Amino acid sequence: MINGSYTIEQKSDHIIGRFSAMASPCELLIETQDPMLANHLTSLAYSEAKRIEQKFSRYLPNNPMANINHSKGKPVAIDDEIFRLLEFTNSCFELSEGLFDITSGVLRKAWKFDGSDSLPSADGVKVLMAYIGWQKVKYDQSSIILTKGMELDFGGIGKEYAVDCVAKLCAQCAPTTSVVINFGGDIQVTRARNNNQAWLIGIESPEDAAPAKMLKIISGGLATSGDARRYLLKDGKRYSHILNPETGYPIENAPRSVTVAAPHCIQAGLLATLALLKGARAESFLHEQGVKFWCYR
Amino acid sequence: MQLTSKNQLANKTKKVANINIALAAATCALLGTTPVVQAEEAVWEMDTALLYYGETDRVTAVEGVFSARKDFGDEHIFSGKLVLDTLTGASASGAVAQPNAQTFTRPSGKGQYSIAAGDIPLDDTFKDTRVQLEAQWTQPLWDDMRGSTGVHLSKEYDYLSISVNGSLAKDFNQKNTTVSAGLSLAFDMIDPVGGRPIAFSEMVIDQGQFANEQAYQAAFDATRQKGSDDKTTVDLMLGVTQIINRRMLMQFNYGYSTSDGYHTDPFKVLSVVNDQGLTQFLVHEDRPTERTRHSFYWQTKYALDSGVADISYRYATDDWDINSHTIDSRLRFNLSDNTYIQPHFRYYQQAAAEFYQPFLLEGTTLPTFASADYRLGEMTAYTVGLKYGMKMPSGNEWGFRLEYYQQDPKNAGFDAPEVLQQLDLYPSVKAVIAQVSYSF
Repeated sequence: MINGSYTIEQKSDHIIGRFSAMASPCELLIETQDPMLANHLTSLAYSEAKRIEQKFSRYLPNNPMANINHSKGKPVAIDDEIFRLLEFTNSCFELSEGLFDITSGVLRKAWKFDGSDSLPSADGVKVLMAYIGWQKVKYDQSSIILTKGMELDFGGIGKEYAVDCVAKLCAQCAPTTSVVINFGGDIQVTRARNNNQAWLIGIESPEDAAPAKMLKIISGGLATSGDARRYLLKDGKRYSHILNPETGYPIENAPRSVTVAAPHCIQAGLLATLALLKGARAESFLHEQGVKFWCYR
Repeated sequence: MQLTSKNQLANKTKKVANINIALAAATCALLGTTPVVQAEEAVWEMDTALLYYGETDRVTAVEGVFSARKDFGDEHIFSGKLVLDTLTGASASGAVAQPNAQTFTRPSGKGQYSIAAGDIPLDDTFKDTRVQLEAQWTQPLWDDMRGSTGVHLSKEYDYLSISVNGSLAKDFNQKNTTVSAGLSLAFDMIDPVGGRPIAFSEMVIDQGQFANEQAYQAAFDATRQKGSDDKTTVDLMLGVTQIINRRMLMQFNYGYSTSDGYHTDPFKVLSVVNDQGLTQFLVHEDRPTERTRHSFYWQTKYALDSGVADISYRYATDDWDINSHTIDSRLRFNLSDNTYIQPHFRYYQQAAAEFYQPFLLEGTTLPTFASADYRLGEMTAYTVGLKYGMKMPSGNEWGFRLEYYQQDPKNAGFDAPEVLQQLDLYPSVKAVIAQVSYSF
């Protein structure tokens, strides 16, 4: 069944819905034999993913993100969803002692992680540091003020957030059906399958040549952070795209990729990102969290 | 409008190692869901089983198994196992049946037992308790490589076995092929009650010929070696596992095992019979001190629409000339999503060891090695059984297994003199196996 924006494929014991959003292949594995239900869920998922993409992409003009990022110090009205995301990122900032900072995206202006050896100049990085610092952002339930030159970037959690939102919609719409939502490796299972069997899911390996890793997931979320193709290489030294908001430079000795399992995809994604930010301490950090994880160095 | 900076980084007083609980709360606030119990947290997977093995008129064994496994994350897996066995009953001593009653000395030298005319001599003092402990650690190494290492300890009253093992496995071909190599070193020590008999020494039987207890004890002691003896075993295993297609998996293993040391069973004897087949006296057995074994194993698992078929074949050969073939098959049928039955059939066939003799003939030259242990003779054996498994709504699983085992020793070409022709020299061993297991 083809609907222009998404496709439906019947498998022996489930149906797969596929579409493309947020620059990633997205799929839903739906434990059902009912094509109508699968079509309905995939359609819901597609609209929700597109809604979040439209709202939070920093590449689009005239969306709420553009309004905030181009506000030049003036207050901008926000809705409840943005407020909840700001509250969440605030918690992450505090819990990570400043390592997770959604204002650090401006460093992209200096760092181009294109696989080349072109490092930014020290001055170029230093200039941008003035525009970083979540503690400078002021917001309440209805509005936000960003100082001029600062930008917010939800890119680090947007895809995971979308996965959880879609999972919530699927759970509301089909509470007894097990659905896997997989947006480019960020995954959420709405509920365990009826036969308690695990879903088998392939996770892309950080290196193209290496085979994908098969993981079993029964319930909960799974997310991967890493620098698959986003890095710089100069004089044999690899610069990961994970930047330290306190120095403006890449974190050293970080794993190439980290996959974490947690009850929710966004929670797993945060833990994976924080692990990367911990550099050499990634594994011990994840051990302390008591979660299941897979590190690739 | 008074906006405030909400974060309070400066006021943070304590550093919390586990931020996941706070993060979970923040996630639930974001998604508008209620917190759930952290289900993905690594938990111990436990298996328990109770097994009963009962041979008709012979050995009865009860075995309790407790095993536990935990994935500490990143595929770092620990597994441990504790096994407790108790064996009681009677075991064939190696002596042949006779047209008249026979009296034997117990292996300890303390006391005697008698066997009725026509009956196969069974030593009824067989009683032992065994404790086994195993620990294994497995983790990924580098380049799709996994490493595993472990220790094994087994202790009986008169026997101790310690072994260490290590193995490496590497995936190729998009994980469709796995090649593995393993090495195990074992050290066994035996110190039987009553000492180890001297090879081919005659069993001392008190039939009133001794003047007193000391005279009997001195005669018995003269047939024994003092102290313990040991055996070292090196095992090498090479394996290839190949995924053939979505439904089929095949495995090939080659095993090499070489052992050096005490292989003799200190409780086994041979009857020395005259040309009429009448037992004249009994001697203690003796086996070579070295054994090298090669085994070749092939297994195929096939996923059916509602079950799994598992068939394997093993060929083993060793320098004692014990060549064996084993065919093992299990067929699992899922009755429903949560229940299954699994019929099991196993067939085993072995040729006799070159030094196997059901008895020795009086007046002939003593061989270098000899044993009348039926387990070293020519035989066929089969097992038929059925397992029923059911998964509870909690995910815990019950298993019930009932099997019948029969071992049929064969005459490997020995001519039995006169009276022995009327007697059953190769009696079958029949056993029932029942097991209950619970996984949680």
